[in-house]
Amino acid sequence: MAGYKEVSVAGYEDFMQAVEQHNGKTVFAYFSGSKDAEGKSWCPDCVQAEPVVREGLKHVGEGCVFIYCQVGEKPYWKDPNNDFRKKLKLTAVPTLLKYGTPHKLVESECLQANLVEMLFSED
Amino acid sequence: MAMAALRGPAGRFRWRVRAVPGGARGAAGQQCYDLLVIGGGSGGLACAKEGTRWGLGGTCVNVGCIPKKLMHQAALLGGSLHDASHFGWEVAQPVRHDWRKMAEAVQNYVKSLNWGHRVQLQDRKVKYFNFKASFVNKHTVCGVSKGGKEALLSAEHIVIATGGRPRYPTHIEGALEYGITSDDIFWLKESPGRTLVVGASYVALECAGFLTGLGLDTTVMMRSVPLRTFDQQMASLVTNHMASHGTRFLRGCIPLKVERLSDGQLQVTWVDLASDRKDTGTFDTVLWAVGRVPETGSLNLEKAGVRTSPDSQKILVDAQEATSIPHIYAIGDVAEGRPELTPTAIMAGRLLAQRLCGQSSDLMDYDNVPTTVFTPLEYGCVGLSEEEAVARHGEDSVEVYHAYYKPLEFTVPERDASQCYIKMVCLREPPRLVLGLHFLGPNAGEVTQGFALGIKCGASYEQVMRTVGIHPTCAEEVVKLRISKRSGLDPTVTGC
Repeated sequence: MAGYKEVSVAGYEDFMQAVEQHNGKTVFAYFSGSKDAEGKSWCPDCVQAEPVVREGLKHVGEGCVFIYCQVGEKPYWKDPNNDFRKKLKLTAVPTLLKYGTPHKLVESECLQANLVEMLFSED
Repeated sequence: MAMAALRGPAGRFRWRVRAVPGGARGAAGQQCYDLLVIGGGSGGLACAKEGTRWGLGGTCVNVGCIPKKLMHQAALLGGSLHDASHFGWEVAQPVRHDWRKMAEAVQNYVKSLNWGHRVQLQDRKVKYFNFKASFVNKHTVCGVSKGGKEALLSAEHIVIATGGRPRYPTHIEGALEYGITSDDIFWLKESPGRTLVVGASYVALECAGFLTGLGLDTTVMMRSVPLRTFDQQMASLVTNHMASHGTRFLRGCIPLKVERLSDGQLQVTWVDLASDRKDTGTFDTVLWAVGRVPETGSLNLEKAGVRTSPDSQKILVDAQEATSIPHIYAIGDVAEGRPELTPTAIMAGRLLAQRLCGQSSDLMDYDNVPTTVFTPLEYGCVGLSEEEAVARHGEDSVEVYHAYYKPLEFTVPERDASQCYIKMVCLREPPRLVLGLHFLGPNAGEVTQGFALGIKCGASYEQVMRTVGIHPTCAEEVVKLRISKRSGLDPTVTGC
């Protein structure tokens, strides 16, 4: 069952700090375009994928950490030199990954429940 | 169509079982599938997208082609850094290499491929079981999970694609305890140091090649000739190049024993077969590259009635890739008489799947399969060797055109081009069909690939000569071959 801890962050610095804080744990991260005042993201795929990801979280192991990271506004995201692209090598949002491993799902892959479940439960 | 993939047997192996559900449930909770694939390497994956013990991808991804080519590239870059100063770059000499950094990068890339395959499999709705497989009867396979749980799977069609593993010469004292194989070299976290490579296969030469290129003291010990199944003139040129570029060769020698010294180094005792003289040497690593054996040992093939070759233990197959049991197939390295190559396994797997789905009736064509040996000076070839052509057609019916050339890139840095050589083996009778092409030089794989298409289409010497060369390249020398061996004229290319 849901034996995971959720952390919500915004921006690269916040994200890296959250990773640092949970050093030694299995960390999953979901990167989404930032939400506006009404709680809606500018990235339509991110909006669609979020419920799929939340459903997949039910399969995650005990003691894992799930970081929900809002990357920023659309112009920031589109800038090829932003920290997420340069330092974390992200290529698109939404991205769901297991930190420190090559396990990641990008864009439409995040909409597929079976792939999301696989990422959360695979070792 | 229901497809399943199972892991193979092998002590240290973990095979994936892949199943595409769809069939009816069999007796006592047994799962029934239309197709069950045992093995997760190149062939198995292509046939049903499955995995192996390290991670999906088999030998090629984990301990073969992929890490090999990356390390070969790392070694070549060392040479380029050296050439760079001739072209004006200010590069501090000597240039040093950090094995750990390279190994980490290569290993991370391999892991990302493992994941990529995993995603693709899931994406295609192929059920994946990480179980060790063995046959119960010709329609049923038993899969055992890591935790010891057993599952029975049955299928209408079963494909065995469990591949091969490096052979340890267990009759040599200390071989197993102190030596490593290609399975290990790509996953070493620390540099192998002073290395003895035993073997004359392309695996032995490629490994020795990149180790030398990375600056490690490397020796190759061979019992007889290098690259036995390849054109022997080309094989000699390959080893001559290696010998003149830092690799030591102990020809006509076989190892007798390997012992560990008190300081951790390995002492190898060997005998020179010609003189019967014994000798010893000290190394940090001993790498066995003395052949590969098929993964059939614990599959319990007899329970299914699948026959293997008494010599090689490989599974006997026909042109449809079918074994002695009609609904059981075998592809890739585990099958007898097949080239041990990734692309042929992949293509055979795909064609087989298409035939089983009734989409086509095309059989795999194993003729004129191009390949490249990624030694420091690369050797690409397609078609027959000169020996094979002569054996098949007779010396009088074969014409061999050849040339020694110098790559333009070698001129400025004054690199040795003595072994840069091309030969084309043709039928002497017009239209002088090209039987085989052999290219020794930089980027041999890239050069040979296009010519393989020409040979597949039945190119003649005339057609090759009417093809305009791209200038300045090494590849253009192929279409400019004019000197035949028979003429006795000097085959050295002069400048343009």
